[in-house]
Amino acid sequence: MAVVKNLLGKSGPKIVILVTSIFFLLPLLAMTRFAFQNIGVFDLSWSKAFDKWTFGIVTKPFEDQYFTDSLYLSFKIAIGTAALTLGLLIPTAIWVHLRVPKARVLVEFMTVLPYVIPAIALVAGIVVIKPHARWFLNSDLSLIPFYTVLALPFTYRAIDSGLRAIELRTLVDASRNLGAGWMRTMSKVIVPNLRSAIISATFLTVAVALGEFTIANVLLKQTFPPFINEYRMREPRAGYALAVLSLLFTIFIFGLLSVALRSPSTKSHQNSPKSRELS
Amino acid sequence: MTSISFRGIRKTFGSTVALEALDLELQPGELVSLLGPSGCGKTTALRIAAGFEIPDNGIVSLGDNDITRTSAHRRNMGMVFQSYSLFPNLTVAQNVEFGLRNRKVEKVKRNSRVGEMLELVQLSDLGKRYPHQLSGGQQQRVALARALAVQPEVLLLDEPLSALDAKVRATLRDEIRRIQTELKTTTLFVTHDQDEALAISDRIGVMSNGRLEQLGTPEDVYLRPASPFVARFVGSINELPNVNGSGQILVRPEDVTISVDENELTMRGTVTRVTFQGPVKIISVRVDVVDQLINVHAASGSVHTEVGDRVSVAVAPGRGIIEAA
Repeated sequence: MAVVKNLLGKSGPKIVILVTSIFFLLPLLAMTRFAFQNIGVFDLSWSKAFDKWTFGIVTKPFEDQYFTDSLYLSFKIAIGTAALTLGLLIPTAIWVHLRVPKARVLVEFMTVLPYVIPAIALVAGIVVIKPHARWFLNSDLSLIPFYTVLALPFTYRAIDSGLRAIELRTLVDASRNLGAGWMRTMSKVIVPNLRSAIISATFLTVAVALGEFTIANVLLKQTFPPFINEYRMREPRAGYALAVLSLLFTIFIFGLLSVALRSPSTKSHQNSPKSRELS
Repeated sequence: MTSISFRGIRKTFGSTVALEALDLELQPGELVSLLGPSGCGKTTALRIAAGFEIPDNGIVSLGDNDITRTSAHRRNMGMVFQSYSLFPNLTVAQNVEFGLRNRKVEKVKRNSRVGEMLELVQLSDLGKRYPHQLSGGQQQRVALARALAVQPEVLLLDEPLSALDAKVRATLRDEIRRIQTELKTTTLFVTHDQDEALAISDRIGVMSNGRLEQLGTPEDVYLRPASPFVARFVGSINELPNVNGSGQILVRPEDVTISVDENELTMRGTVTRVTFQGPVKIISVRVDVVDQLINVHAASGSVHTEVGDRVSVAVAPGRGIIEAA
């Protein structure tokens, strides 16, 4: 920001924010207009900017026979992905933190790989194993492990930073010393204190699972993103209306996430160092 | 009241030897402190007692039972940690209740026990607060109540006062001793603070490099150190060349007598500094014969001297130990 201020003067940062906002918002506004304003592009003018807006079209995709099925499947896969992610990731991250802290760098590197290697490369791998694993790939739920891998860069970081924020070893030792076995230590001590991290990881997983297109398309799964794509070709305006709706839903989820993380109860669970000084 | 004993305990971490043949027995109801510098093995010994570490060799016994390989959650021990270890998601009362729930104690008994324990640590009004709403001293008191609630056979204290400021530390130290004496719980207390160890222990084990250098009463350890290491580590010490032989004489500042008459005592010297410390003052004297500074503790009103004065000093008869070269 200091560099921007030097180059563009006092209003530099504002200009940057404005340009960036236009860059992101303009296509979205164009998409929204295309979906909800019943005027062809060539007939547009400033005088007609507020004419013929109709939101009734948003209900049209709901009438499509595949809408509910694809959305239901996507939610099912999202929930499965979240469950598998948390089930695998929380014990693994705890194990790494407690038993092999030196391996943390390696694990971090491995979890970044899905971010570095594009989904299409994963798909190429799936094509290779497809003839040998039809029993698995034929199931709609076969997307769950792939999405778990795709979400790893986000989810591992969320859980890892949650674990770094608590005094994990001391809490585990204290719990065990008080007679709690591993299961009880996990359920009563670690998981409640990772609440924020788990909520973050879950929302991020759900966002990945609800928005992934490439793998679902290659494996011919009728999840929500391939449905939007296909529906948009059939019904361009309603298709884009659906895309806008899906975007708003994602924004809503992230809004919910930030509210959940800022709630007073969450704050009360944090052991703020400041409060410790009040002796 | 139960005894706990360590017999021939050895523990290594990679190529580092944390404990080398530790032999130690705590009598029922006794408070023993393990005192030593960082890395001497005292915390490892405590963690072995708690079951967080398994020794490479040796036996840990609780009474007559070998508990060397018993899982941590199956040993009936209470522990207070150095860092704040209260569960942030639970209230003070729920924290104290945690161990009782694990032992499936019925609700009425649990509630009454929690009440008793909070009363014991004088925090009865704070049961509904969360840990982050307490001061450091209050948190450690809750941790103590939580550890004692399960009526442990042995109480393990891992430098529980080190994160607190001096005033709170002194108060809580006395409180720990009061409660320990009241409940007669066998207690192993780990600290690197000699004042703490001297103030509250029945016996002190001074450790160095994974070995127990001396085990004795606070008086033994302070007045009759078994080795130069113990003499140097516990209390302050003057090191003088042994003019009658080889090696050095180690002598405590209060074991050196001083006279304002330059010819009265055996060694002459010049006062270089006088530090007033309330009941005593510390007089630093550069001794002519060895050209070395020694500190002398004198009662505040007893010796009147200033920087530059010529004085004489002598080691009190029977005091000081000779360290071979």
